[in-house]
Amino acid sequence: MLAGVTVPGATLELKSVTRRFGPVTAVDRIELAIEQNEFFALLGPSGSGKTTLLRIIAGLERPDEGQVEIAGRDVTDLPPYGRHVGMVFQNFLLFPHKTVAENIVFPLRMQNLPRARRDEQLAWVMGLLRLQGLEARYPNELSGGQQQRVALARGLISRPALLLLDEPLANLDRELRSEMEVEIRRYQKELGIPFIYVTHNQEEALTMSDRIAVMRNGRFEQIGAKTEIYTNPASAFVATFVGHANRIDGRIMEIDGALARMSWNGGALLVPRPAGAAIGDKVRYFIKHEDLEIVPAAVNGVAANDVNEIRGLLRDIIFKGQTANYIVAVPDGGDLVVSDTPRTVGVHPNQQVIVRWPAGAGACFTDEAP
Amino acid sequence: MTAPRARAGVATVSMSMGLAAIYVFLYAPILYVIYTSFAADIVWPFPPSFTLSGYADLFSSSLYGEALANSLTLASGSAALSTVLAAAGAIGVLRYRSRRRGLVLFLFIAPLFVADLLIGISILAFNARVLGLPGNLFSAMAANAVQGTSFGFLIILAQLVRYNWDMDDAAMVFGARPWRCFWEITLPTIWPSLLGAYLISFILAFNNLEISFYNLGAIPTLPSVAWGSLRFGLGPELFALAALVNFFVFAIFAIMYGLMRTGLVKFGYRGR
Amino acid sequence: MSGLGPLSSFKRNPALRFAALVGPGAAFIVVSLLLPLLSIVVFSFWRTESYELHADWNLDNYRTLLGEAAYRIFFLRSLVTALIVTVVCVVCGWPVAYFIARHGGRYRLLLVLALAAPFFTGAILRITALQGLLGPIGLINMALGMVGLGPVEALMYTQLASGLALVYLFIPFMVTAIYLSLVNFNFELLEVAKINGARPWRAFIEITWPLNWLGTAIGMILVFIPCLANALTPRFLGGPDATSFGMSLAQQFGETGTWALGSAMGVAMFGASLLVILCLKPTIRLKRSGFTGAMTP
Repeated sequence: MLAGVTVPGATLELKSVTRRFGPVTAVDRIELAIEQNEFFALLGPSGSGKTTLLRIIAGLERPDEGQVEIAGRDVTDLPPYGRHVGMVFQNFLLFPHKTVAENIVFPLRMQNLPRARRDEQLAWVMGLLRLQGLEARYPNELSGGQQQRVALARGLISRPALLLLDEPLANLDRELRSEMEVEIRRYQKELGIPFIYVTHNQEEALTMSDRIAVMRNGRFEQIGAKTEIYTNPASAFVATFVGHANRIDGRIMEIDGALARMSWNGGALLVPRPAGAAIGDKVRYFIKHEDLEIVPAAVNGVAANDVNEIRGLLRDIIFKGQTANYIVAVPDGGDLVVSDTPRTVGVHPNQQVIVRWPAGAGACFTDEAP
Repeated sequence: MTAPRARAGVATVSMSMGLAAIYVFLYAPILYVIYTSFAADIVWPFPPSFTLSGYADLFSSSLYGEALANSLTLASGSAALSTVLAAAGAIGVLRYRSRRRGLVLFLFIAPLFVADLLIGISILAFNARVLGLPGNLFSAMAANAVQGTSFGFLIILAQLVRYNWDMDDAAMVFGARPWRCFWEITLPTIWPSLLGAYLISFILAFNNLEISFYNLGAIPTLPSVAWGSLRFGLGPELFALAALVNFFVFAIFAIMYGLMRTGLVKFGYRGR
Repeated sequence: MSGLGPLSSFKRNPALRFAALVGPGAAFIVVSLLLPLLSIVVFSFWRTESYELHADWNLDNYRTLLGEAAYRIFFLRSLVTALIVTVVCVVCGWPVAYFIARHGGRYRLLLVLALAAPFFTGAILRITALQGLLGPIGLINMALGMVGLGPVEALMYTQLASGLALVYLFIPFMVTAIYLSLVNFNFELLEVAKINGARPWRAFIEITWPLNWLGTAIGMILVFIPCLANALTPRFLGGPDATSFGMSLAQQFGETGTWALGSAMGVAMFGASLLVILCLKPTIRLKRSGFTGAMTP
């Protein structure tokens, strides 16, 4: 397997990959194809199986069923040291007894590359990740951010077919994380190597990736471009997990084409028609914070037909800098959170307000799955 | 965990006195032996007049010379065997889940609970009657290795529990096959415990009497020669031998202590 | 990467790797410890004739052991001595281990190593050193002789001397075992006890002792077993009537060459040790000793 040779077509293919641990199915018949030059995020809560899936791709776990193909080659039974992938771990896992240079160059030594080539690649990758000058240091002498970059360098030096990242930013502080999010995406685009990025943090996934798979209980709840996942969640789970949304439970009263009228707590809302819903079904409705608008209740006018409106009392304003969260207490309901820019909104706490948004916005699902 | 400041309560004072007493108890004979080894009159070495005749006797004795050579061979062979078996066992037990783990642990620790004498005679009887082998240096090496493996196992285990096995995963992903991984990653990290296991097994085998005695036939080792000599009463060369062995053992412990203290090596010690 | 055929799936199987690693050591111990022990059980039912073991199955050896007064006395003597020495080691060793663990501070390691080191100089040389101090021509008696006091009878060639020597030999083991337990003991629990009204001694009995019982028990076993088998100290420091069971056992494999009887004695000794371990085992409840178990990979 030559370093740096790109293969056309799918770089990674998973066919019906399954892995069980006793009675628990950690990975359940997963199908996936990753293209060259793709930044792919595996997003899910802990226990969803995303790390197990990553380890299967790396070769650290063997699937009970299914196949793993990297660059067209069936690697299902191949041990990790035969697969030519790179990996970056959550707690870095740098070798404490080796210098930075020795750590980074390790994969090339394992491939028995001649010295000259090794030094070449080392210089290149250290330049790429701005690690010059740190060659002789030991991992415990580096900051968290530096350690992470060394781990990245180690993963990239052999120009692998894939780079696997297992929540690499989880141990960094917030500022560093934001910086690294942008940097990591930049590396992926520059090098053209597909990255598979596992995280439970939706912001990371949305910032860095091209495509996202939302994973739950070993299955992909939804897989698609990140904008698609964000604006059109395919299930209640995805709607809660990605983006920040308000949830309103209600019942379908009427169905009218693509829309439906949902009754709730003494009011009615126009919602997108949930798949497979019949009149009388209980449903859950999600509308994102930023899709809502908030105005003082004194504004006159009758609600138009294409606008949903809810009246309530503004309890609190949580200022976040560019935006603010307005917490509105709804009669007989809970709280609605509206995210808006404080400069354009003129409301004060303890004021009667109206929350409104276009009819048919948001996502609605029947109340069957847990 | 920090110990609270010691207040000089009655209990503390009496305990510290007890501690001092124990040290006196343990070291008085040793110090006496070292002192007397240089003394002209070993029965009543006062007033002090010094001589090295005891050491001269010791070094010129061909019996002791032969015994020393045998003891060194026995100890180094036994310790090497012990360390390898113990290291493999400790790595296996900690790295891989297995339903047999408890049984294996039991097996590796069991020798500690069998008396030296019993190990010695049972191996003698087994070798002679079942295997038909006469006693020789190799059977004694193996016999000592039984105990050495147990001690070594515990020593290596103590450091190995803190080893992060995920690093092996990382090494594997980057292309290291299992043996390379051990050589590049695991060994450089755990070598102090292997050294400690070797040293302890060495010392135990070197000074062992009852396991070796029955399995060596006529082959002399330092402890067995000392035992034979002691039966006829104390002699100056015995004091010299005791002084030398004490020095040797304490030197090794001092080195180990120094290494642990300066943080160079850990032996599983959480340096404080 | 080439060369990854069927062998690779062998190598990747964790169960096989486990077996390959622990196998040699485990097999070695089975062959070098368990089988020999098993064999002397077998031999104990055989007969010795002209220095050879004959597979003549009988119970004579055991009848001898139980019947002849000498052996019964030897056994009881060794048993009682071992028990007393163990108790003495616990009583003397606990304060030492406690002091080092609690108040040792930076010197803890040094103190413990200094305590453990003498053990490694070997039993015979340590007994030599003891003889030098305690024996009839040893320092103490000679010193007393100079001042006109007679030699202390009790210190030479008595069972007391033999027992004292055993404490000398094995107290490092006891202290180390208790110390290793105390090192993982959270002394702050004693503060809690104090706040709740416990006096120091009460706190010790209720808190310190039970939570370190595992270490104490291990120390007791590590002291008792060699003491029971002890053949050296009575020979060199004990008197003519201090013959121990271990000494007699050694003779069966040395001078008299009666291996069958010796095997029976070995079985008896091992049985007694096993009995002590079995008696102690139910008193050890790992979960309640705060033992978190170091092995959780």
